[in-house]
Amino acid sequence: MASTENKDRIAEDVLALDVAHLTRKFGVRKALDDVTFQLEQHRFLSIFGPNGAGKTTLLRILATLTAPSQGSDVTVLGFDVVKDAFALREHIGLISHNPLLYPDLTAEENLRFFAQLYGITGADARIDELLDAVELTHRKLDIVRTFSRGMTQRLSLARTLLPRPELIFLDEPYSGLDPHASDILDALIDGIRDKHTFVMVSHDLERGLELCSHALILARGKVVLFEDKETLDSDLFRATYRETVGLGVS
Amino acid sequence: MSEKRNISSFDQFRAILHKDIVMELRTKEMLTSMGLYALLVLIIYYVALSQAGSAFEVERIAGGLLLLAIVFTSMLGLNRSLVHEKDQGCLEALLLSPVDRPVIFFGKAVGNLIFLILVQILIVPLFYFIFMSGSQVQSGPWWMLALALLVGSIGIAGVGTFLATMSVNTTGTDFILAIMFIPLVFPLLLVVVAALTAVITADAGYTQVYWTMLAAAAGYDVIMIAVAFALYEFIIGA
Repeated sequence: MASTENKDRIAEDVLALDVAHLTRKFGVRKALDDVTFQLEQHRFLSIFGPNGAGKTTLLRILATLTAPSQGSDVTVLGFDVVKDAFALREHIGLISHNPLLYPDLTAEENLRFFAQLYGITGADARIDELLDAVELTHRKLDIVRTFSRGMTQRLSLARTLLPRPELIFLDEPYSGLDPHASDILDALIDGIRDKHTFVMVSHDLERGLELCSHALILARGKVVLFEDKETLDSDLFRATYRETVGLGVS
Repeated sequence: MSEKRNISSFDQFRAILHKDIVMELRTKEMLTSMGLYALLVLIIYYVALSQAGSAFEVERIAGGLLLLAIVFTSMLGLNRSLVHEKDQGCLEALLLSPVDRPVIFFGKAVGNLIFLILVQILIVPLFYFIFMSGSQVQSGPWWMLALALLVGSIGIAGVGTFLATMSVNTTGTDFILAIMFIPLVFPLLLVVVAALTAVITADAGYTQVYWTMLAAAAGYDVIMIAVAFALYEFIIGA
């Protein structure tokens, strides 16, 4: 069953996200209702909205972790999120408020495990390079359970970057981070944002706006606002956000 | 620009299995709890049979007792095997990676099978020492007993891993496995108990009964593993 292949880079003219009429029902409740938007590659999309607005459901569908309801047409980096989910997974990564790491493995063992899942050749050099980038070389052989929250999140970032994903999903990545860990995360995102697409779900309006190239507000599963930051009226945006937070869950 | 990748389902299976074994050897969480629980079950058996008298032939029910101890013990460990994946969101990391879902099933199921066998290495000799050491019955060869236990364990690990995966994605994590496991493995229990009893009592013509029951158990394993293979992507939730 072994297969050797090249992980080809995505062509520049392919849309990072092409979401058309995306609906997701849980029973009779619509968590997402006819969501439509497009995003080019190498952009940073921040998704805002009140609790229960459908942000996490949207992120999970884009990351192939949840299937959309019938009638939806969603492609990520040119891959259909349902039909081409397996191929798409080679090109995406997720940084969550959950570390997505095994606490009883060492930092190196965690990265090596995921390197094997992604079939990364020359994993040793890549692991060392990433541990150095997140300033964890000195803790390489330590069990993750002994790490602080910030260190765990930095290692989580290394795990995400390991397979060189073109698109990175960020699900409240700054949640629980100390200032030093936040600075490292900022620096790492800054260092790679020209060559990557980011989609971040956040309640932190200021940081989300500062980082993004595009902003999207969801409320009751619908897109209330989707705008390029260049043309975004900051006051209007804040007013819309305050209004939607009041709308609550659908 | 492209990067060389060598994605192999077998390497992914090995990585999942190796990871589970390393973690278990480090924490000994499953092995300790399963081992201790198995000992407690044997103690309960001992108390229950203490007043049975010398005329009672324990060999007639030894196969059933032994398999029940293994089933009860396995339920404890199987539930844990997926819960630790879920706890830190590791299951999501697994699902996000380019791994075919059946590879995850086989990795987890083989890991569970190995832990189950390790526990059996502890409890089977102990069971014989406690309940069968004074027996006058000349049992069949030990490898036939081991083979029946192995075939039974394959089904238990396969069905148990499948149900444990189902249960971590629901709110009833603890009771789904407990309620659904016994009805699903009931046919397997019947035939493996018959095979075990045949080899333990070694009555005339026992080999024919043994191989017939073992073939039925192997057939059950193949069918249930094929079903789990086909449905795993659906039940794992992605």
